[in-house]
Formats: sequence, C-alpha cells, structure tokens
Amino acid sequence: MVAFRLMPDGLNPDPIHKAVLGLNGGPTDELVVNLGCQLAKLYSAELVAIHVIEVNWQHELSDDLTDENLAASSVLDAAEVIAERYKVKLSGDLLQAREVAAALVDEAIELGADAIIVGLPYRKRFGGDFAMGTTIPYILQNAPCQVIVAREPVPSTGERRDNREKLTAGAGLGLR
Amino acid sequence: MSGQKPWLHGRKPGDRRVRVERPHSEFFRYSGPGQFVARQAASRPRTAAGRAIERIRHALLGRPLSIHEEMDQRLSKKKALAIFSSDAISSSAYATEEILRVLVLAGAGALLLSLPIAMGIALLLGVVSISYRQEIHAYPSGGGDYAVARANLPHIFALIVAGALLVDYVMTVAVSTSSAVEQVISALPGLVDIRVEIAAVAILLIMLGNLRGLRESGNIFAIPTYIFAFSTLAIIVIGVFRIVALGEHAPPPEPLPGASDPLQLVGIVLIIKAFASGSVALTGTEAIANGVPAFKPPEPRNAANTLLVMALLLGVLFVGITFVADSFGIVPVDQPAVKTVISQVAAKIYGDNTILFYLYQTFTALILFLAANTSFNAFPRLAAILARDGFMPRTFSFRGDRLAFTSGIVILSIAAIVLIVAFGGITTALIPLYAVGVFIAFTIGQVGLVRHWLRERSAGWRKKLGINAFGAALTGVVFVVVLAAKAPTSLLVMVIIPVLILIMVFIHRQYTASTDQLAMREDAVIPPPRREERVIVPVPGINRAVVQAINVARSIAPDIRAVLISDEPEEAAKLRERWERQLPQVPLVIVESPYRALVGPMLAYLDVLDMTWPEDKEKPITFVVVPEYVARHWWERILYNQSANRLRSALLGRPHTVVVNVPYRREDEDEPPELAPEDSKPAD
Repeated sequence: MVAFRLMPDGLNPDPIHKAVLGLNGGPTDELVVNLGCQLAKLYSAELVAIHVIEVNWQHELSDDLTDENLAASSVLDAAEVIAERYKVKLSGDLLQAREVAAALVDEAIELGADAIIVGLPYRKRFGGDFAMGTTIPYILQNAPCQVIVAREPVPSTGERRDNREKLTAGAGLGLR
Repeated sequence: MSGQKPWLHGRKPGDRRVRVERPHSEFFRYSGPGQFVARQAASRPRTAAGRAIERIRHALLGRPLSIHEEMDQRLSKKKALAIFSSDAISSSAYATEEILRVLVLAGAGALLLSLPIAMGIALLLGVVSISYRQEIHAYPSGGGDYAVARANLPHIFALIVAGALLVDYVMTVAVSTSSAVEQVISALPGLVDIRVEIAAVAILLIMLGNLRGLRESGNIFAIPTYIFAFSTLAIIVIGVFRIVALGEHAPPPEPLPGASDPLQLVGIVLIIKAFASGSVALTGTEAIANGVPAFKPPEPRNAANTLLVMALLLGVLFVGITFVADSFGIVPVDQPAVKTVISQVAAKIYGDNTILFYLYQTFTALILFLAANTSFNAFPRLAAILARDGFMPRTFSFRGDRLAFTSGIVILSIAAIVLIVAFGGITTALIPLYAVGVFIAFTIGQVGLVRHWLRERSAGWRKKLGINAFGAALTGVVFVVVLAAKAPTSLLVMVIIPVLILIMVFIHRQYTASTDQLAMREDAVIPPPRREERVIVPVPGINRAVVQAINVARSIAPDIRAVLISDEPEEAAKLRERWERQLPQVPLVIVESPYRALVGPMLAYLDVLDMTWPEDKEKPITFVVVPEYVARHWWERILYNQSANRLRSALLGRPHTVVVNVPYRREDEDEPPELAPEDSKPAD
C-alpha cells in the first residue's frame, strides 16, 4: 500500500476502500470523478457514483420520472467513461429523494463507504463566490466518514473581469 | 426505464429515497437524447456454443478492444522502427547472398564487384528514402504510393500501384519466411525435409500475433529486430577491425580459366543481374510511408525520423555484411548442406558451432520470420484503404475485436503459404518474383509527387520536385532492369498485377452501380407509402405456428389469404372444412399439385395474382408470411422448415415481394394460440 501523505504525520487520512462520489450533473462532476479515480488507484478502492434526482412535492417519491432519469443516467455514464480511462472499478447508483444531501449520506452509510467526495462549484456572478448551498454543510455535519470537497478552480483575475464585462454587457449595463 | 421502486429509509424520519433501476446500464451507456453507446456486454454471444467460441477466441486473440483504446495502440518510434523496418533490415541477411549467387557465375574475379554493387544499391536506397520522407510530409494520412497516385494521377495508376504493392507484400512474407527457414537449416541441416511445414507454421503464428493487435505485435517483434541489428553491427565492427587492423582476409580471387571477363558483355549482363537481385534490399522501404497513422503524434515527424534511421541502419548493415563477406571470400554454398552467406559470416566472426554463432543464427531466423510482419501491417492497411475506396470487398475495412484488419491478415497468410508450398520454400526460386512490384510503386508514387509539387507550389517546391523527379527516373530505370534481369519468371508478376487490377475495377463498378441504385436525393421528403399491400400465408395445415403467422399477417394488411399446396385432394378437402370452421375470416386457397411440387406452384400462384392485378394500378407489395417452427437444438434444424427454406430461397429477389418469417418457439407451447375472437366462433 502506498502511503497517501497529504498532511503531517498523525493527521494522514485513513485508507479508502470504498468511496461515494456525489454527482449533480454540473461542472464539478468531472473534477470529483477524476479525484475519486486517483484516490481509488492509490488505495485500490471501489467507487460508487451517486446521482440523486430531487423529487418535488408535486410527485410521489417513486414516480417514474423517465425524462429526468435518462438525463441523470447520462451523468453516471459519463463518470463511468472517466473511470474506464483510469481502469478503476466504478458503479453507478441513481436515486430519487426529497433531500439530496440526506440521500447521499444514507446511501454512503448503507454502502459502508469510507469517504464521500463532492464538488463545490464556483459561482461566477456578482464578483464570484463559492456556492456552498445546503448540501455540502449537511454532508459535513452528518456523514460518519471522511468528506472530501473538491472545489472548482477559481478563475484568474483577468478571466473574472472578462466574465463581469460579458455579464454587464449582456444585461444592457455596459458603458460601451 | 425504472422498474419496481421500494422505498429505502434513512437515519432520520422522513428521509426516504428510492433506487431507480437502470436496466440499460449493463448493455448500453446513455450518451444523449435518443443516443446510446453499446458496451461490450451487448456484443456477448447469447448461446452456450457462441460463448464457448468467444472464450477460445479471447484466449487466442485477447479481449476485444474498444475504438476508444485505439490511441493507446499507436506506436512509439522505437517500436515502429522494429515493426515497420523488420522487412527492410532483415533483407540485409539475404541481399548480399543474392548478389553473390549471380556474380559467382561470372567467375571468382567478379566477386570483387559485390561491394560496388552493394554501395550502388545503398545509394539508391538513400534516394528512395529521401523521396519517401517528402511523401510522408505531403501525405500524413498514410496510404503511401497508392494515396499519392490516387490524388495526383489517373485512377489506373493508383490501381497499378495497389496491385503491385499487394503482390509485393505477399512476396515479402513468402521470401522472408523461406529465407528464415534456410537460416535454421544452415544451423540444423536435419530439418531440410520439413522446411515448407516450418514456414507455414511460422506464418500462422505471425498471423495470430497480428490478429491480437498492434501493441502485442510490437512487443513480439521489437526485441529480435534490435538484437539482430546490434549483433550484426557487432559482426561488422569486429570484421572490419580484423580485416583492416589485423590484416585478416582471403587472398584476392583468381579468375577461373574460361570464366567470362566481368567487363565483357556477358559479364556486364551478370553485373546488371546481380544489381537486380541485390535490389531486394529496398523492399519494405515504403512500409513506413504507408503506415504513418500508426505512429504516435506528431505522426509525420515521427514517421519521417523513423524512416531516416531505418535507411541508415539498412545501408550500414547491407554494405558492411557485403564488405566482410567479400573480404573473407565467402560465397553461398548449397552442397552438401545449405550454408547461407550470413551464416558463414557469423561463423567467421563468432566462430563456427559456438554458442554465439547459434544465438546469432537464431535471431537471424527470428527477424526473418518476423520481417513478414511488415507486410502484416502494410497489406491489411492498404487493403482497408482500397476497400474504403470501393476497390476491394468492404470486409477488408472492418476491424476485428483487437482493432486489427482481420480479413487482410488472413488473406495475406493464405496467399503466402500457397506461394511457399508452390515454390518448395526455396528463397532463390521466389526472388525473381520479388521486388518487381515495389519498383513500380516507387516510380509511380514519385511521379505522383512531382505532379503534387507542380500543383501545390509550396515553399521549396522546386527542390522537392527535383528530388522526386530524379527518384522517379532512377527507380523507373531500375524497374526495367529488374524486370528484364529476372525474366522470364518476373513476367509472371506482370500478369498477376493486371488481373488484380481487373478484379478491383470489377468490384468498383459493382459498388458504384449498387450505390447509384440505392442513392436518395438529399432534398427529397419521403411521403407515406401509397401502394396497396396483400398478404399470402403458405400453410401446411392448421397448427399453432400457422395461427401465429396468420395473426401476424392480419396486422400487416386486410387483404390476406392462406395458400395450401397439396398433392392429396382428400386431405385438402378435410383441411378446408376445418379451416372454415376455425379461421372463417381468412380465405384459404388450395392449389392441387399432382406433380408433387411445392415451390413451383406457389410461385406460379403469385405470378397469376400479379397478372390479374388491374394494369392501371401500381403493383401491390406482396408479403409472403412464412410460419416457421424454431427447433430447440441445432441438430433438430435438419428435421424442420426444409420446405420453408426452399420457398424463401425461391422468393429471394422476386420483385414487389417481401418475405416475412414468423418463428414459433417451443417455449411458447404452454401459451394458447391467440385466435381472434371471431375465429373461435364456429363457421356459419
């Protein structure tokens, strides 16, 4: 086993045998899967990619949301493509739930996962900020295992300025 | 998409979730709306026999590769040098011998000319290599001389190149393998009686290696190629040291009494013949230009550099061996036992019957066996390009489980084995057929490049044009020399190539005609069909399979009739009575056949139906719905459906007719036949 030295001695994380990847179909999915695959290669771990379809109260929890399920399936299938490149074992799990975070944590507990890896997107509007939302804090507070948050790279100052200009021009507020 | 969905409870009350089944995920990957990508499981055989065959195939050839793994199969320069150059480099093992076999006829004095001849051939190699470097950069998508001729010259020239190269690739396999066997025999004379068998087995093994895919082939072939190259370089270095520094060499040969003077006419003819025979060293030079896409990016640069290294290596090996052989007065020996020139050179340097000698002979034999691999890469690729252009059957462009062009590999192996058997596995007998085609390709390819530079007129075009024009003229002259010097056997190639061209033209015409027939205008909007439809169900009686076919027929069109061809009127009458009772809505036509024929009367009945159709109306589509009983075991198949099979064959190609098979499976036995409600009523 190769030691995964991220931190000083005594603070090294436990080895991972099974990790849950929380995917939301957003820009951080690729980051999460890549990170998960690298860790899985390091520890010979098994990965389970989970995508949770949030079912609103207009539908029964067990309703057949065919269109959404197909799109959700493609999220898991895209993760499998990346895992195949790394030659890492990854299975996909598609869930329907009222609360994404609770479903992720409950599923991780049921699977006996040692880690949950989720992505934190960078919101580019209004000067830019990390959109923490409610899912990640819930997982951080309730997951009985390690939680790894992979943040989306922060754009450079120039890129942020360009984005801001595009946004203001698009909104009709540009000076030009 | 989703199946049963039991609720799963979370840790907290109210935290519930449902797992959604993804039945497609085992076989398909969902990649977008209405779009799936098949996984390997989707291609897995469904029968036990199919799975057993698949297991054997995987054991022999390896697991199937996805097209997404193709990039991994690209060759590095080191591996490509071994794969694409094994033919060219290995020819240094027999090219010297072919020169000496001719010169020895002109007398011992003429043997001294072997070195100038070898240097002349090396010079030719330099010119050809420089031309091919230009070709690689001009046509990085591969295809070599064929692609150049196709792009710049009339089609017939491209086909001449293709035919010439295909013949030469087969010859490469045959010559390399037979020469390898001769190296084995040089070390182990007892094997002389099974030389053909050894060669055939070797070709089959190389075929298997290539069917496994490029990467494995590279590993198999890289090591012997490099060991041969380095150990031959060692022979040359040691040899040159002993000749130059220690002064070891044979005394200058005395001309034999009565032997022709090399400068007399007969002598000059022999020198030309020797040059022609030695020019086999150039075969395989074109392989890299043909296989540019197999290199890792940047493909053209890597291919051009590999070609340069190959040409330098081949030139040094060929001239070096000739120099050492010449200095030690070595000539080929056939009696009492076969002793090749290269084996005698190795024996002189490493010592006769030493471990080093046997090791060197082993690797010489190995590289010669493996030299055939150059053709196993080049032939299938060229065949695939020809197939894509419609000049060869399309099966040559399909790739097998391991991304190898299976059909091309198998055909090449068969053709080479046939040649070896026909010529008794004797290299010298095969040589006259060799190298003719490759000089045709060299010449036409370079003429094509001259046209290319004239059209492009890119930076430095004049210099490039000059190089290719010089190369074309030189190789053109060499082609005539080789053809004349090796006549009459070489003329056989001049028969085979036109035959191949005729076959390719014929195939192209067939494909063009069928494409024209099937073509649709892109702006055409297809309206719903307006033709009337009628359904005919040939029936042997009433049974579950027939009822199932009748029900399918009813779903196709309302105009339906069952037809019984019978040679027993009484049985037919009984059936009519039962039919009208059980299937009253479906008319039964009984055609009595006193001559006991089945298919003929059925076809005649269909013809009569067509004839009675009103002339002012468009002919209807006739669906012939054939009930078929599906046997559970393969051996049962000979017991059933023989008449149905004959009928289907007879209906094949009949105008306005569609044949529909309705299989009835034995597994459905327990289910009652789905009769329409009115069918179950008694007849009025």
